[in-house]
Amino acid sequence: MPELPPDDPIKSRSFANPILIAFFVLLLCVSWAMYQEFVGLRPWRGYQNEFASAYSAYLQKELRARDAAEKTVSSSADYQKLVANLNQAQDAATPKDTAIEKQIAVVDLQRAAILHAFQTDRSLVGSLIYDYEIVPNTADYKSEKQSRLKDVLDAEAKTYSVDWPDESGKTTSRDMNYKQLNDGFNQLLDKKAQLTASEGDANKPVKDAQDALDAYLAAKLPGLNSTQLKGLLNTVQSMDVTLVQINVNPPGHEINDVGGVGLTDRCQSCHVGTNPKYVPPGFVLTKADLGMQKSNDAPFSSHPDPDLFKWHPLDTFGCSPCHGGNGRALSTVETAHGRYEHWLWPLYYPENYEAGCQQCHSADAWTEHAPALNEAKMLFREKGCIGCHNYSGFDSQADQLQDTIREIASLEKEKDTDNQEIPQLNKQGDQAPDNATAQKLYAQATNLTVSVSKIDARVEQLDELSHSLQQEVKRVGPDLKEVRMKLNPTWIPYWLSHTWNFDPTTKMPQFQLQPDEVQAISAFVWQQGLKGPALDKQPAGDASKGKDLFNSLGCLACHSIGRGSQQTGGDVAANLSRVGEKANYDYLVRWIHDPRVRTAPYDPYLHRDLTPADYAKKGLPFVFDLQHSTSPVDGHELVVQQQTIMPDFRLSWEEARDIASYLMTQKDPGAHYDQASYINDPSLFDKGRTLVEHYGCANCHEISGLEDAARIGTDLTQEGSKPIERFDFALLYTKAQDGILPDGKHLVRDGQSSAWYDLKGFFDEKLADPEIFDEGKYKPDPMDRLHMPKPNIDPEQRDALVSFLLGSTESTLPPSYQYLPTDQRKYIQEGWWIVTKYNCIGCHQIDIGQKSVLMGLPMYQGDNSIGLPPVLTSEGARVNPEWLKSFLANPALSATDTDRDGVRQYLKVRMPTFFLSDDEIRKLVLFFEALSSQQEPFIPEKLAPLTDQERSVARSIFTSPAAPCLKCHATGNLAHDKNATAPNFLLAGQRLRAPWTERWITEPATIIPGTAMPSGLFVRQGDRWVFNGPLPAAAKQYTGDEADLLTRYLFEMTPQEQSMLTGRTPSAPNSGSSSAKK
Amino acid sequence: MWGDWHQLWVIISAPDNIPIVAMLVLVPFFTWYAFHNALANDRLIAQLEADPQLARTHHRTTYPYNSRWERELHTNPFLMRKELLAAVIVTIILMIWALTLNAPLEEPANASVTMNPAKAPWYFLGLQEMLEYFDPWIAGVIIPTLIIVGLMAIPFIDANPLGNGYYTYKQRRHAVWTYLIGFEAIWLVLVSIGTFIRGPGFMWYWPTQTWDPDRIEFNVNQNLDQVFHVDGTWLAHLLPSSWQSSAPLIAKGLFGIIPMVVYGVLAALFIHWICMRTEYSRKIYRKMSLLQTVTLYVFLITMLFLPVTIFLRLVFRIKYIWETPWFSI
Repeated sequence: MPELPPDDPIKSRSFANPILIAFFVLLLCVSWAMYQEFVGLRPWRGYQNEFASAYSAYLQKELRARDAAEKTVSSSADYQKLVANLNQAQDAATPKDTAIEKQIAVVDLQRAAILHAFQTDRSLVGSLIYDYEIVPNTADYKSEKQSRLKDVLDAEAKTYSVDWPDESGKTTSRDMNYKQLNDGFNQLLDKKAQLTASEGDANKPVKDAQDALDAYLAAKLPGLNSTQLKGLLNTVQSMDVTLVQINVNPPGHEINDVGGVGLTDRCQSCHVGTNPKYVPPGFVLTKADLGMQKSNDAPFSSHPDPDLFKWHPLDTFGCSPCHGGNGRALSTVETAHGRYEHWLWPLYYPENYEAGCQQCHSADAWTEHAPALNEAKMLFREKGCIGCHNYSGFDSQADQLQDTIREIASLEKEKDTDNQEIPQLNKQGDQAPDNATAQKLYAQATNLTVSVSKIDARVEQLDELSHSLQQEVKRVGPDLKEVRMKLNPTWIPYWLSHTWNFDPTTKMPQFQLQPDEVQAISAFVWQQGLKGPALDKQPAGDASKGKDLFNSLGCLACHSIGRGSQQTGGDVAANLSRVGEKANYDYLVRWIHDPRVRTAPYDPYLHRDLTPADYAKKGLPFVFDLQHSTSPVDGHELVVQQQTIMPDFRLSWEEARDIASYLMTQKDPGAHYDQASYINDPSLFDKGRTLVEHYGCANCHEISGLEDAARIGTDLTQEGSKPIERFDFALLYTKAQDGILPDGKHLVRDGQSSAWYDLKGFFDEKLADPEIFDEGKYKPDPMDRLHMPKPNIDPEQRDALVSFLLGSTESTLPPSYQYLPTDQRKYIQEGWWIVTKYNCIGCHQIDIGQKSVLMGLPMYQGDNSIGLPPVLTSEGARVNPEWLKSFLANPALSATDTDRDGVRQYLKVRMPTFFLSDDEIRKLVLFFEALSSQQEPFIPEKLAPLTDQERSVARSIFTSPAAPCLKCHATGNLAHDKNATAPNFLLAGQRLRAPWTERWITEPATIIPGTAMPSGLFVRQGDRWVFNGPLPAAAKQYTGDEADLLTRYLFEMTPQEQSMLTGRTPSAPNSGSSSAKK
Repeated sequence: MWGDWHQLWVIISAPDNIPIVAMLVLVPFFTWYAFHNALANDRLIAQLEADPQLARTHHRTTYPYNSRWERELHTNPFLMRKELLAAVIVTIILMIWALTLNAPLEEPANASVTMNPAKAPWYFLGLQEMLEYFDPWIAGVIIPTLIIVGLMAIPFIDANPLGNGYYTYKQRRHAVWTYLIGFEAIWLVLVSIGTFIRGPGFMWYWPTQTWDPDRIEFNVNQNLDQVFHVDGTWLAHLLPSSWQSSAPLIAKGLFGIIPMVVYGVLAALFIHWICMRTEYSRKIYRKMSLLQTVTLYVFLITMLFLPVTIFLRLVFRIKYIWETPWFSI
């Protein structure tokens, strides 16, 4: 036992030190907590202070520069003159102003003098009137009423003594009764209003002079002026370091309101530069402005696209609904940006910013300010994603058509049953025991007859609809029924295994197929191909002519030719630089002559192609086209055209042969094809069919027996909302979480190493190489492999598609945020789907700022841009919609003379026939009208007919050497039109709209900048346009608007008038009136 | 994959698991501390028992005796200052905990996605682990009820008057061992297994083994009757024909009673043997009423059944010992 201490250890031991230390540590902890509370968890305080000092310095610098610039400007003579004007105006206005001010002061005094008496009297009279009105209906009603009326009258008669001041400052005493007070008060109010107005009038010259001075300064020195800058500097220097938050809600909703968004964005607490209070709209602030270009942690730039706030006001949209991230969080950058595993809406990375647009703009095919998203939507269709993956809004016609066909089939069945029942009922009626029963049965039979006729009507209507739908249904890939006619059989297996070798820009993805699978698929496709009727034999054409045609017709808007750096053209359709290796010449000629021609029509009700025998049975010729599109067997709509978007250029057979001959020369001399004898081996057929079904070949290509194949891919409409657990990372799960890419490298995003176990990571890797998710998996049966092939896209396109998918969400925002317009903008939205579907933007500029493919080609640069197809940015304002309908249906504007362009015959590039359905034409016309904000429905402008005198003036303008109209505009005369670069005036009346035409002849450059149409033909004089050139004396007397006159003249243009003028163009203008009388 | 130390660190450092990691350190420490003091006291008791004179004058239970010390001390300040110190230290620990670790909150629940592994909060992990071995009815209702009732019954079946207010082992051997087995060896081990061992799919992952959500494991658990091929064929011969179709069920039900009875008897004998080992425990035993004795035995038999079942399951892959249409054990 140890030695015991003399003192009691429990009693004697001091706890002072431990308790002191403990309390000290506690104090430290409390300080730490305070620090966290005020600084650690509120990093935005630091950011705001940093911003305030950097931005103040920047503003001061700007202010100095501005002051210096203003000083320079103010020393100029113009400025001095304006200042002198201002001073002069001020001097002139001041005495008047002072006099009026004085009068106003007197009025104010007078009003104040009677105010008290007036108010008192008014209250008294009011209360007495009330008492009078509410006298209860008792016995002494009348007398009571009388007495109270007297009270009222007494009060009104009572006078008040008022000290009335006059202009000299003296006061006189006045006695005023109720009426005088009331009238006096109102008169004073009127007088003051008059005086104030006259004061404004007196100061107007001053204000005008000031405005002129401001306007001069603003014109000389755009941007904020020094006063504004000073104000801004003041705001920033007195900046209250505080939390800035936006309650994201549509107008009329409070925060946490049902129907509201329930989001609070505090992003501007750190991103101070996006706050319009500090950085006003139109004032762009970059990191470099603040001297922070090297800093990774300076969130102070202003929004790079401030235009967006016009449609997305900050106080209703906030930041996170578009950008993602956790708008409420402020404690760290990571939490605020939502970049941790438990925040489901992380901030989009810069390459995917436009995902935010898609969340609400999913109904758009084309969204302004979102170029990557627009590209993604084009790619989704062009690269054939849409073949296998449904996405609502994209090309739903095929599904609609299937529904229609199903409904027709079921109606037919119903009709058959009814038709069988009718005779039975009649028979039963004949045998009925009594009259009443018989009548009942006959009536039933009659009712059935009526319902049969109703079914007929419905079927007819559905047939009509399916006719339209059949025209609209397009496939991503070419028709494989005709492989035997169009392809070289040895090419098929080569293509399947070396797809991107043959065509590096093809839309066809690369399937990872084993050699035996390639053989099986080739054999199946070949054996399933149509075997007849045989093609017409075509003589050889002239390849050099064909080359010219190919380069000039506009083929390059969709197709490309040449390899590598030599490649020119669009990427919507195939690269043709090796087409000669694969194609059959006879087929190619037919295809170029009219790509919509089919070898045999397909009957979707019988599920087979019809043969000449089917037609012969009904005694019909084997003719099928859009006018002969019903089946001779069942009477319903057939597939009579190739389901391609390739349009018909209305070429002659000779031209088609020339182009085909040219294309047949497009070969790689080193190409080598193995023999493919197995292609006819019937034992490969079944295996091939299984593979074709597995990989969904029929989702993009038309293949016999698989015409109705359903899409094999997942619906991607809301792919971005799927929980991460629903994505199969297969054996890459751990790697994805550790941020190791399939190639072993570490993933870096936004400068930081990052995991890729998220939607972006999955989409990125899946699109880069879908096969990695099969790697290492036990899949002995090839049919267990993933279906998805490797898409032919570059990394930039992949980013665009990933943005598109990330934005494909079931939005958490209320429906009012979705862009689903119901006004004219709806037509724009619908139209873009068609415009992008047929690649109209390959040739035309439609959206302001958008560039067509042809505009980028070397042959249209510089002066050659005159050969480009017309710019359509104002098409809706330019043309009559009825005319546009007929033009879109038949761009040749002629039933017989079709080998030409209807409007611009002088262009080598040609508007082809797209065989648009009526519905598509209607939507396109509405689209163009809406795009130019034209009133709908269209009401043609009534133009006053020309008088003889007017016609003569117009003619002299038209033929004036200062406006050589017919130098450029075509006339239809071949000799004359050789040098024509503008349309024929004969079309003007039916084609154009008068207001646009008038604007066009006066200020063409404001409609299409850079147009060959000369500006300055007319000058503005007062409120009329006057011709800017020499006119004969008689014409000079015309007092009307001469641009309007010329427009009316053009709209009345006749061939006779034109031919008469052509002969005489620069001849003497004053003989005009006499010839018009002939 | 073995040797995945990163995985181990992820598990240990998860804010959810901090209390369990702390428990792994604190429980052994306090057990040691309790034993340390208990053994010291036991020595003192022995000393006092050997020296009746000293026992008469000794007045502090935990400290050796010094005659000049006061016999009793006031609570304030001598106890209060210690408690104050303890309160401050605990406050400091809680503050640091709160400042350094955020609440382990996750995304909003999604009804269509189940988290994997789906684990109960740490204080329920023991119950969740029991669900692996028993029917939900047994593990989720019967056993928790017995645990609560058993804890409530302790004061009523405890016939030992000694050991109140001071640490001692010798005087409360049975209570200490019941605690050590019932709480530390069974309950805390179950909680630890639930925390550190159960990974995706609630499968068994040894420490440093990677948690792989795609892992697939092959295991067949058999009922005891299946091991002994009890299928009721011979019983069918003995039963009337109308009963024959239910012969397998009856046979299984009857068969299951045998091991249960055998276990019950063996466990009861074992407990009884322990109760009869020393003179002191025999004395306590004699003081207990029949009701107290039976209650005590029933609870102890049930408590010991847990490790036995877990052992049978983990080592011999026995699913149920006794299977009936109504319940299975």
